[in-house]
Amino acid sequence: MALYVLYESASGYGLFLAHGIDEIGQNTEAVRSSVSDLNRFGKVVKLAAFSPYESALDALNQCNAVSEGQMTDELRNFLELTLPKVKEGKKPKFSLGVAEPKLGSHIYEVTKIPCQSNEFVLELLRGVRLHFDRFIENLKPGDLEKAQLGLGHSYSRAKVKFNVNRVDNMVI
Amino acid sequence: RGGGMKGGSKVVVEPHRHEGVFIAKGKEDALCTKNMVPGEAVYNEKRVSVQNEDGTKVEYRVWNPFRSKLAAAVLGGVDNIWIKPGARVLYLGAASGTTVSHVSDIVGPDGVVYAVEFSHRSGRDLVNMAKKRTNVIPIIEDARHPAKYRMLVGMVDVIFSDVAQPDQARILALNASYFLKAGGHFVISIKANCIDSTVPAEAVFAQEVKKLQADQFKPVEQVTLEPFERDHACVVGGYRVPKKQKTAA
Repeated sequence: MALYVLYESASGYGLFLAHGIDEIGQNTEAVRSSVSDLNRFGKVVKLAAFSPYESALDALNQCNAVSEGQMTDELRNFLELTLPKVKEGKKPKFSLGVAEPKLGSHIYEVTKIPCQSNEFVLELLRGVRLHFDRFIENLKPGDLEKAQLGLGHSYSRAKVKFNVNRVDNMVI
Repeated sequence: RGGGMKGGSKVVVEPHRHEGVFIAKGKEDALCTKNMVPGEAVYNEKRVSVQNEDGTKVEYRVWNPFRSKLAAAVLGGVDNIWIKPGARVLYLGAASGTTVSHVSDIVGPDGVVYAVEFSHRSGRDLVNMAKKRTNVIPIIEDARHPAKYRMLVGMVDVIFSDVAQPDQARILALNASYFLKAGGHFVISIKANCIDSTVPAEAVFAQEVKKLQADQFKPVEQVTLEPFERDHACVVGGYRVPKKQKTAA
């Protein structure tokens, strides 16, 4: 059974395919040791697809949705286009690893793509996060930070909602 | 108290043992960092300008240990703060960003500071401060839920945590599991009263260190923040430290 992993970066969605998962045998300890080394990690995990956001506004929408555990139409399109088709009545031969169970269950409800979210997936995502800029060819060093910076500002500014009275409006 | 650095005529700035931190030696010694945005103070702190031999000027900002726990830890003699030029730092509990601005000075243009703060009131100041410092990425979100800001943060070398919550060890561990690379480091400021005010501070620190050890942290040193803060300690250590020490082949 193939395992795909969804990684939400500040510049776009990335889908990674974890190879030879049976050999690792869902062993968190084994992943942990292979994660730091790109040579070893690159053999286990390969980039399957990457879809950059269209604009800064699009990125902010995706970020807000991801943060709330919601799947956007863009994410749905991306997943349905790049993942193998799920046939009705048949058990899919793959599963999708996501960072957050809430997002996973939402994806499953809408698209019937089986999702999993566990320690093992989180370990893989740690590796992807560490080596992300080397997986994406067109991403120059520093580009991702720029994307994070822009997105961080727009995300935070929206949260703070500047108002003249400087009164706190907590969202609890 | 009054303008120890006034005029700056007889001030010499020397590098501190920690890379990126400096000591201004005038009438009184003061800790300072090299201002990334010369000509501007962040919170009305004093600034010291020094002329180099070639006529160029370098500006430093005085770092007050009564206002910053990290500065207090440095003066308390901590062995290594791991925050240095080029480092990538996740800062939990950024508040208005006063200490964050000094961390931003230390890591410099090649480093990154991800500053997480939940309160909107201080978050507003944080966002404003970050506008002028492009190596600070402001994140107004609850540090208890790193999944909510996982899109904004990359892998980091150091996590600095000053959240003053009873479950701060758990918060640190959760963030480390997402963002702190193996072999990275943590610096946590512990306020005894915030965790358990019924037992002596020392007992609280020991108990917190135990919690950290259970979460793949390896505390290496602990300093008290006296006389700048009462019943505070700063604990520094490594994360997922490799068991076998690799010898240089």
